[in-house]
Amino acid sequence: MLLILPLLLTLVGAALAALYGHPSLNRRLTITQAAWLLAVLPLAAFVFFLSRLPAIADGGALVFTVDWMPSLGMGASLYLDNLSALFLLLVSGIGTIVVIYTGYYFKGDNSAWRFLAYLLLFMAMMLGVLLAGDVITLFVFWEGTSLTSFLLIAYKYKDEAARRGAFKSLFITGGGGIALLAGLLFVGSVAGGTDYVTILRSGDLLRASPLYSVMLGLIAFGAFTKSAQAPAHIWLPDAMSAPTPASAYLHSATMVKAGVYLLARLNPALGLTETWFWLLTGFGLVTMLTGAYLGLKQHDLKALLAYSTVSQLGVLVMLIGNDTSAAFKALVISVVAHALYKSALFLTVGIVDHEAGTRDLRRLGGLRRAMPWTCRVAMVAALSMAGLPPMFGFLAKETLLAAVMHPTISPAGIALLAAATVLAGALILAQAGTLIWDTFFGRPRDPHVHAHEAPRWMIAMPAIPALLSLAFGLLPEPEGMAVFFANAAAAAYGDKVKVSLALWAGITPPLILSIVAVSLGLALWASRGRVRALQQRLPESISFNALHTAALGLLDRGAYLATRTQAGQLRRYLAAMLVSVTALMLLFGRVPLPTTVPPFTLDELSILRIFTLVLATAAAALSIFLRRDFNAILALGASGLSVAVIMVLEPAPDVALVQVVVDILSVVILVLALSALPRAQRRRAWELTFLQSRWGLIRDGLIAVAAGAAITILTLVALTSRPRPSIVTPFYEANAKTLTGAADIVGAIVVDFRGFDTLIEIAVFGLAGIGVYTLLRYATRREWRISESASQRMGQGRISEGRISESASQRMGEPRHSPFARSLIRHSPHEYGLGDESHDRSIMGIGGTQASPFVRALARVLLPVTLILAAVQMMYGHDQAGDGFTAGVIISLAIAFWYVVFGYEETRRQLPWLRPFSLVGAGLLLVIADAVISAAVKGAFFAHLDYGKMLGLSLPRGFGLTTSFIFEVAICLTVLGGASMVLAALGHPQDVQVER
Amino acid sequence: MDLLKALAIGAMFGVGVFQMLRRNVIRSTIGLIIISNAVNLFLLATGAYQGVAAAYVNEAGQRSDALPQALVLTAIVISMAGFSLVLALLYMLSTRYHTSDSDEIAELKN
Repeated sequence: MLLILPLLLTLVGAALAALYGHPSLNRRLTITQAAWLLAVLPLAAFVFFLSRLPAIADGGALVFTVDWMPSLGMGASLYLDNLSALFLLLVSGIGTIVVIYTGYYFKGDNSAWRFLAYLLLFMAMMLGVLLAGDVITLFVFWEGTSLTSFLLIAYKYKDEAARRGAFKSLFITGGGGIALLAGLLFVGSVAGGTDYVTILRSGDLLRASPLYSVMLGLIAFGAFTKSAQAPAHIWLPDAMSAPTPASAYLHSATMVKAGVYLLARLNPALGLTETWFWLLTGFGLVTMLTGAYLGLKQHDLKALLAYSTVSQLGVLVMLIGNDTSAAFKALVISVVAHALYKSALFLTVGIVDHEAGTRDLRRLGGLRRAMPWTCRVAMVAALSMAGLPPMFGFLAKETLLAAVMHPTISPAGIALLAAATVLAGALILAQAGTLIWDTFFGRPRDPHVHAHEAPRWMIAMPAIPALLSLAFGLLPEPEGMAVFFANAAAAAYGDKVKVSLALWAGITPPLILSIVAVSLGLALWASRGRVRALQQRLPESISFNALHTAALGLLDRGAYLATRTQAGQLRRYLAAMLVSVTALMLLFGRVPLPTTVPPFTLDELSILRIFTLVLATAAAALSIFLRRDFNAILALGASGLSVAVIMVLEPAPDVALVQVVVDILSVVILVLALSALPRAQRRRAWELTFLQSRWGLIRDGLIAVAAGAAITILTLVALTSRPRPSIVTPFYEANAKTLTGAADIVGAIVVDFRGFDTLIEIAVFGLAGIGVYTLLRYATRREWRISESASQRMGQGRISEGRISESASQRMGEPRHSPFARSLIRHSPHEYGLGDESHDRSIMGIGGTQASPFVRALARVLLPVTLILAAVQMMYGHDQAGDGFTAGVIISLAIAFWYVVFGYEETRRQLPWLRPFSLVGAGLLLVIADAVISAAVKGAFFAHLDYGKMLGLSLPRGFGLTTSFIFEVAICLTVLGGASMVLAALGHPQDVQVER
Repeated sequence: MDLLKALAIGAMFGVGVFQMLRRNVIRSTIGLIIISNAVNLFLLATGAYQGVAAAYVNEAGQRSDALPQALVLTAIVISMAGFSLVLALLYMLSTRYHTSDSDEIAELKN
């Protein structure tokens, strides 16, 4: 449980850093002070990990698990053993140093709180990667490090190089992350669990699995991209555009080690095979040489360090590939040694950059006098990098050489590995020498570079790891540390490892090789001018950056081609989709065609069925041939009503009822929308319905026939395979009355069994209403504004912005209008050839028609009737046909009638309770309150509660004041709100007011 | 009977598709509704039983399958919501471009 503490601490740190961004704090506290305060948190994490060490000193592990999806064997767990503790100590320890250093690096720039926040966030992610006890948790944090690394690299986001570098690193590590996830999921599925304990136990199972090479390839790809193995190393040098503290922390000491950590962690499960050996050793070797070679070529100090980091990462991967106890001994020592000297060097390079204003080797030189302490720190660290005694780096190199000469490797292998290691060691030594000599010694190359010593504490930060590399090397046989390292190596190796930290082991083959490497390195360093000049002249034969650029270019090209296929005509898309879906279904769907034609008996019911089917189809078909859109809409309505009759005969009375009212409402809405269009446009619309080439018509007809045929076959299959076994329906049938008190099973499903669906559904309905309203209301308004500002420009009148928001009817009366506005006014009164513009608009219905007194009286009577009808629907819907939807739509129909008869303004005036937004809101709130109350009482969302019985009310027979009833009322309110919004918006787009 | 029903549903779907492919956007909207009617009927047909009685607990005889009915009930309401949104979009387009011709609107875009 306590294991989560360090994670929380650093997250709190990130939050505090963000809080420090607040002006009131930012003004009072300098960034340096803030950094010192924040450093307490990673320091606390460091101390915490130290305090846990005794608990795992026996080589065991601390595990903390939270069940998440136990059925899939997935949980979120944390895991601390010696291997992760080693990395965790490095991350939190160096993290503390880097946070303090950041305070000095950004001195005077208090806006760098952002950097501190990102840094601590990254630290939390990194701790998460190392603390994760299962591969899913690991992956989540793994991606977190990629993202936070992106933020840190792109910190100076105004700089294009920073943005490009950040994108490149995200592109490559993110791509690797996807592969990693796939690989880890394979591992989890084969091992039967995603936690390390299970996975580490299932090594034999995993290695024997036919998927072994697939999962190994995917995981290795993920780890290689993260740990910058060639050819994916190209992102690391570009990531150096990050501020130096980030480079020191992420891109040398911590994040890039994540891949190494993962491979070491999974070695007992996936290692010990030929594939593992060749894959890791091969890539590691190439990376080691590539990094070492390219590093020597650099002029930029950070780039030089970046390439030497690449080289070192190659060494680590190679060691894991070797898979011997000596190799893992070398691995843990190398990880520590490298983290110490590389972070120290990065931080001193940061100081040089900060104080001298450049980190270009061609301009530096002779800084020893100006920066004596920085120079000393850098020299100590560089000695360790060069692998010279008595530094810890020397020990790392010795153990490395011993590992590559391990007797289990074939002689040819030893020769190759040893030669490559010696060469890489020599190159690295030459780089360390170049870095120190060309920066601090010799003559100043550029007279414009003036450096001065950095603040004491800023130098102290790199001094700590630098001195530790010395101290670790000098300690005579530190027993405790050796045991800790041995345990860490054993966790990665899967078996006991013996670690000795003595520098002097006698004259051994590794020592001889080491001497060879040092001499070669010194020779290279002495002739570095010529070597580097030669390197510059050699063409870059294979540049993987070109590959990266090509990949991105290909992506762009693909996107261009994809957009080319988009003609912008919806009809074309639709046709393409329909044709392909139909073809796919008919060709590959393997739809079992019914072999026998079902028997046909002609009784009364089937005559009725045939009649309605023919009616529905014929009316639908008629809508094609009717010239006027209005008539086509009526045909559509007839077809919809026939469909309702088919549903009655199903028999499905509830559905049929809803179908009837919805069909009528749809027709009303369509007619309203149609009548809002100008007459000329409508006339043109009729003409162009069939305005098409003959071939086009035939093509559309063929598509329609094909789609229809496909649906026919599907339906026939569905119908002829009845009855089918069903589990769900019998459950609903058996429990409807007992659990929900409803005899109507459909109603019980809608408001009870699947109440949550219905809640979402009415939310969608309400939102659609709001959507329609917003679209038409604001779109119309914008047209107004555009046209008015146009007329303003033409000097025809001055209309201020403020007046535009005045009521629409006032605007209608204004004589100055743009053509669009005029078209809006003109079309309505002339819509039916009736009406007069001088009429009082408020008593006019749609189209400006004044309805006859009889129709108006009818409307007044109709509304209360529908309200009663709706109430009955809701009260008795649980035992009979009918429900909240029907109720809501019925009232909406009456409202629609009112709009048509009285017009928008008058309806709003006479029905003050009709506030669509409030209705939708009230409906949704009511459902949620209803559900929450029953959850509180019965312990389940939408559980059935009979309030009538609970309160002892005497209610009419057959009516219960229950959860379901309240739900029905809520549905009714929401549907009414949504529908009346649609009606108002479509019927009177130019009149609609924003509800206050 | 089943064959006839399947044919009718297929025919309605085909009519809907044909209507949707018209240039006149009002016809496209009509097509959308016809298609959704046909699909709702198809969904009803996916019920596990051919019933002779409505899906009420107290009805005797083989009840029709309540599950697809509940789904279709929801679908009808949702499709009306969707259809009004489509209509609002079409209306906006046609008032902005002063045409109900989808091809012409597409040309205006480019």
